[in-house]
Amino acid sequence: MRRSAFRDNLSAFLFLSPFIVVFAVFLAYPLGYSFYLSLHKVTTLVNVFENLRFVGLENFVALARDGLFRWSLLMTAYYAALIVPLGIASSLLLAVLLHNKLKLHSLFRTAFFLPYVLDLFVVGIVWTFIYSPHYGILNRVLERLSIHYFAEQGFLGRPGTAMPAVVLVNVLKGAGFGMVLYLAALHNIPGSIYEAAEVDGATWWQKLTRITLPLLRPITLFMVVVGVVAALNAFVEVYAMTAGGPSVDVGGKAYGATWVTGYYLFDTFYVKLKLGYAAAMSYVLLAVAVVVSLVNIRVLRPKTDY
Amino acid sequence: MKALKTMALYAVLAVAAVVVLFPFFWMLVTAFKQPGHEFDPQIFPRKPTLDNFRRVFAEFGFLRYFANSLVVAVSAGVFATFFATLAAYAFSFKNFVLKDKIFAVLIASMMVPGLMYVVPQFAIVQKLGWMNTYRAMVVPHLANVFGLFLLKQYMETIPKSLVDAARIDGASDLQIYGRLVVPLSLPVIATLFLLTFQFHWSNFLWQLIVTNKESLYTVPVGLAMFKQAHEELYTLKMAASAVSLLPISLIFIFAQRYFIEGMTQGAIKE
Repeated sequence: MRRSAFRDNLSAFLFLSPFIVVFAVFLAYPLGYSFYLSLHKVTTLVNVFENLRFVGLENFVALARDGLFRWSLLMTAYYAALIVPLGIASSLLLAVLLHNKLKLHSLFRTAFFLPYVLDLFVVGIVWTFIYSPHYGILNRVLERLSIHYFAEQGFLGRPGTAMPAVVLVNVLKGAGFGMVLYLAALHNIPGSIYEAAEVDGATWWQKLTRITLPLLRPITLFMVVVGVVAALNAFVEVYAMTAGGPSVDVGGKAYGATWVTGYYLFDTFYVKLKLGYAAAMSYVLLAVAVVVSLVNIRVLRPKTDY
Repeated sequence: MKALKTMALYAVLAVAAVVVLFPFFWMLVTAFKQPGHEFDPQIFPRKPTLDNFRRVFAEFGFLRYFANSLVVAVSAGVFATFFATLAAYAFSFKNFVLKDKIFAVLIASMMVPGLMYVVPQFAIVQKLGWMNTYRAMVVPHLANVFGLFLLKQYMETIPKSLVDAARIDGASDLQIYGRLVVPLSLPVIATLFLLTFQFHWSNFLWQLIVTNKESLYTVPVGLAMFKQAHEELYTLKMAASAVSLLPISLIFIFAQRYFIEGMTQGAIKE
């Protein structure tokens, strides 16, 4: 018996081993190593990892004093503040429209979901072309409507419109994903609830705000989390479209209008090669992500089983 | 009245579809325009040409980048899916020490933002001497926790009695895995393969970081370098973009059920 239990364990771990080895080396160990890196500084540009100097908490202290880092957190929050409501609104709108018995239902579902599976970097390149100043198609259309405001710098070149323009790309790309989630939830609401409400004389508006929206709450909360995570990981779209710019003057300092923390992390690590500082920065991102996840678990879990 | 409502619905849906799909339409239209005419406002090009596509492949190395993307996405898809089926089998049908603890750690790792891994993974890849190899692009992503979760959920719907019966008949774990569990899980295995393929086809940041040799560029990395070097060649840029988006679009259109179910499952069943 004992022998067979041992063999059972052995065989189970053999099945697990490829996955666990990759997990341990490339996902678990990196978190620890990243912490080690965050306590060190790069001293040379050759054999970077052999010549690190221990600096204690210096990187974290520097981060706390770094105005550009605070700005990047603010821009990340701004990104989230745009993508969360816009993402929810666009997904919900598409779902409500499609939640009718239509012959072309699956055709529209395919059309709306397609951009979600496509490469964000390439989609960003295409949108950059559309957003071009003067001759870009979007500006041409607006000029027809006698709007000349965007001609000079385009949408990505103006500090005021750059971030909304970047976020809009992600909203349109992701709307189909949220739409499918909302559609499934709408599908699960029994029609009898609405019939009962109609008998009681409920208006269209009352049915929406008193029945539909409360029952969609779990999906909406999930969409909030998805939006915040997208803001924390925002990099590719910024790299493709604005490279962190355009420049804004904040109290005499030049900051980038789309300089989100993900982009700052990339710049610090890949361009400036300050690996320790980048690792410290990534720990701040992790802390935010963990807080968001915990809030998510607290708020979301009890409500899911209705 | 009902017909009117249906027509209005279709009208609004059509407008929404145009908004969502216009960028891809415009990309294609521009890719067929003559160089220098990229900003002509006609909806359809005056003298459509395939020359942009020819040059992208023949002059600018996108044939090579395309092949690299295929190698990376296919191998990552195959191995990540294979490793996940093995692990999911153990979690679904075996008992072993620390099972629940190990699973909890795996699930907890899902809340770590992807950007967090970039710096330390780069360090490991460099220490292993893997810079500028396919290995570097593929191996760090072969433990797909979401995929394991997806497969485990599915495998647990396979009746235990079936597995027990096979065991009583003297089948080994490898036989039960290969002859029973994998064949019964094929739809979700296909889903996971497609999702990992799609992920690696678009895994731009990581592929950019671990390669600096042109012969190893994938399509998005090649496009980024092309954009830096030839900012003004819009028609070529749009042709290259189209080449990059086409495979995933086609796969999606033919296998959308797998994509949509796989991608939304984690959200709905959580």
